[in-house]
Amino acid sequence: MKKTIISTVLMSSISLTLLNAQVSSDDQRWVKGPIPIPKNNPMTKEKIALGKLIYFDTRLSSTKDVSCATCHRPDSGWATNDPYAVGIEGREGPRNSPTILNNAYNKKYFWDGRAKSLEEQSLGPIEATVEMNMKLDVVLKNMNNTKGYVKLFENAFPGKGINRDTLSKAIASFERTVVSNPDSKFDKFIEGDKTAMSKDAIKGFELFKGKAHCMDCHDNFQFTDGSFHNIALGDADEGRYKLKNRASWYHSFKTPTLRDVTKTAPYFHDGSVKTLTEATTICASGGKYSTGRNAKNKSTFIKDRHLTTEEISQLVEFLKALDGKPLNITIPTKFPQ
Amino acid sequence: MKKLITIGLLITTMYSAEHIIDQKNKHYVPNNITVAVGDTLVFKNSDSFAHNAYTDDEKNEFDFGMQAPGKDKRVEIKEKSDFVIECAIHPNMSLQVHVK
Repeated sequence: MKKTIISTVLMSSISLTLLNAQVSSDDQRWVKGPIPIPKNNPMTKEKIALGKLIYFDTRLSSTKDVSCATCHRPDSGWATNDPYAVGIEGREGPRNSPTILNNAYNKKYFWDGRAKSLEEQSLGPIEATVEMNMKLDVVLKNMNNTKGYVKLFENAFPGKGINRDTLSKAIASFERTVVSNPDSKFDKFIEGDKTAMSKDAIKGFELFKGKAHCMDCHDNFQFTDGSFHNIALGDADEGRYKLKNRASWYHSFKTPTLRDVTKTAPYFHDGSVKTLTEATTICASGGKYSTGRNAKNKSTFIKDRHLTTEEISQLVEFLKALDGKPLNITIPTKFPQ
Repeated sequence: MKKLITIGLLITTMYSAEHIIDQKNKHYVPNNITVAVGDTLVFKNSDSFAHNAYTDDEKNEFDFGMQAPGKDKRVEIKEKSDFVIECAIHPNMSLQVHVK
């Protein structure tokens, strides 16, 4: 089994190398790189398969009708299209559901970066009262009483049992497979097919890298460098500052990926913006506020770039070209008994 | 006694070193360093935007706040410890510090 995983990784590396050769040196930054795998949780087929079952299993919630996939839906770009996350009994969370797509490349998780690993992040929503509202001890007890899960955990983590550690590692292993494939119009464009993107999208790409400065934060294959910024939306949420009163964290939130961004409206941590045009305009015109309390600690990247309506439209056309094909992940319909 | 302390401080000053850390393309260069107590880390910023180096290490805690492009910031290593310095804005920037 280990050989299979290693072979897959090697094959991926070889194909990536071949792909890289076709891409200009300027565009190498957009090429898909290897997924960082923590040393204490190497990927295996067994963990990934188990993690997938858990991810879609609604029995992990107190009302047995909410799973991780409720707020991070494969058919909504691995997010939802509600302004705020909606958990059990229709309870609204304080923020928009961020996509989990390409989370594997991040180093901090949640909008405010409070989790330092995917493993740590994976358990948070289970216990959150506005999400799945389930005590982890109860989840673990239920799983230990489910023969099917006992067997699957034993296969994935021989001799380790079902506990917080193995549960988090299984979910994180699955989430590390939720990564975009390089199959968007943009990917084809940088691989050399200059007809893959429309003329407007190509102009948008040039603006993205240049005049509009989007690339300053939306960088790399995943179109985010994982950085935290206050984009001056003027809402009450203090973001990362709540974790620690560090001045540069005031009202700051994590830069989201832009891959499949057309599928994840509404936008921003408060889900307050319905269209890509409006979101792009806000970012490229210096946020919603330029003075006063709402502009305090505004990111130095958020400036008025003096874009025309046509240029905003070209940027949006470029963002649309980042949409990839749906990931080849079969949603389970039967769960361990 | 005073004389001894003065000599001690002089010796520390004579042997303490400065280590240059650049912040370039959203990376610390180098990203791993071994230093001694009393040494100084000098942070440069070769990027065209601000950084914010900090550590929450209990023995060597500091927070530079915003560091504009082209400006230098300095911090003295106070105690023996192994710790990580990160950028508060760009968390992918990570500098491992070993104090011998």
